[in-house]
Amino acid sequence: MNSNTETVQTAMAAGYMLCHDCGKLIQATITGAGERQVCPRCHSTLHFRFPNSITKSWALIICAAILIIPANVLPIMYVDFLGTGSYSTIMDGIIYFFHSGEYGIGLIIFFASVLVPVFKIIGMTMILLSIHFKWKSWLRHKAIMFRVIQFIGRWSMLDIFVIAVMSALLHFGVLTSTEAAPAASYFTAVVVCSMFAATAFDPRLLWDA
Amino acid sequence: MNIGSPPIACPGCDLLLKNIVPQKGQKISCPRCNTLLYKDKNNSVTKVLAISSSGLMVFIPAIFLPLMTLSSFGLHQKGSIYDTFVTFYKQGFFFVAIMLFLTSIFFPLLKISLLFSISLLLKIRWYSPGLPYLLRFVHHLDEWAMSEIYLLGIFITIIKVYNMAEIHFDTGFFCFLFLVLSTISSSSAFDHHRFWHEIESMQQSIKLKKTK
Repeated sequence: MNSNTETVQTAMAAGYMLCHDCGKLIQATITGAGERQVCPRCHSTLHFRFPNSITKSWALIICAAILIIPANVLPIMYVDFLGTGSYSTIMDGIIYFFHSGEYGIGLIIFFASVLVPVFKIIGMTMILLSIHFKWKSWLRHKAIMFRVIQFIGRWSMLDIFVIAVMSALLHFGVLTSTEAAPAASYFTAVVVCSMFAATAFDPRLLWDA
Repeated sequence: MNIGSPPIACPGCDLLLKNIVPQKGQKISCPRCNTLLYKDKNNSVTKVLAISSSGLMVFIPAIFLPLMTLSSFGLHQKGSIYDTFVTFYKQGFFFVAIMLFLTSIFFPLLKISLLFSISLLLKIRWYSPGLPYLLRFVHHLDEWAMSEIYLLGIFITIIKVYNMAEIHFDTGFFCFLFLVLSTISSSSAFDHHRFWHEIESMQQSIKLKKTK
């Protein structure tokens, strides 16, 4: 297989289309725009590259970058403990864990709800910019970074699940209760936008540039 | 350039490659971008069928039975996965509630029942024209089923509240634990190349019958 690395030929250059869904490689028979070729195995529409991939990813990443501001500034949770209620943001929750000595859990929450979304937005922006300006260095590293972004994206939902379980279980009438606060909606939207951005992006465009 | 036919292409960088038949337990990665192209998995269809059917059995209790009971000041509070969705919905966070419902209840159920029905159909070699569509749906669904993340969320909640209240684990918790284990192991046993290959061979045998 290594002999192929010297003489690089892409499937697109050879006139083949890879099915996005089932991974079958098919000889392209379409000639112009407006024609449609369908995978014989799974019947999905074939493309050389995902249609409008860059535009879609840019739109969703910009959305996520805007939404991440209210998600971090506004409170995400309201805790009422023995009559004293307090709102807390994502960072407050993490600081609380560090103060009470739970460093491991604090770090997990910090990774999932602060580092991962920020890393995703910065990473996707870098990848999209590098395609835009045709930067050809570090291609292999950028490809690996994209796969990491794709893999870790969903783990950001962790904080929402914690709040959900807390608000359902820690509810003792007037004594103690936990509720979600506005940032929960913004935070979920950040996760959804950035996950869609990664799905819409076609990593093969990195190598085409 | 002479590439063995039929060639394959890397989904990560579109490099055209020779189609190598992998040995048992072998992993093949793209030489250019290091995307994992193929990993040999034994008896994928049978394994997925077994694991997903056991996961389906615990699905309803895992979602609707209470996970645990918290006791504090003589008061008790129970809650199931379904209750967390209802609580969010009642608090007025509709978007979050719907995402919670989809990622923790609907998509995991859909994924595990799709895997079950597809592997069953492949096992008994009963081809229906809808089968490729079902398998395509699994590919798109994959990252939106988040049961394992939910489980980590439950563990973090336990650590958060253990000095505020007394925790008693209920049946739902163990069912959910089992459900997460079976979803993880079914997706690690799931070999989509194998599944598509089986579907293709069934399509071809139907075509042969028609021409006869």
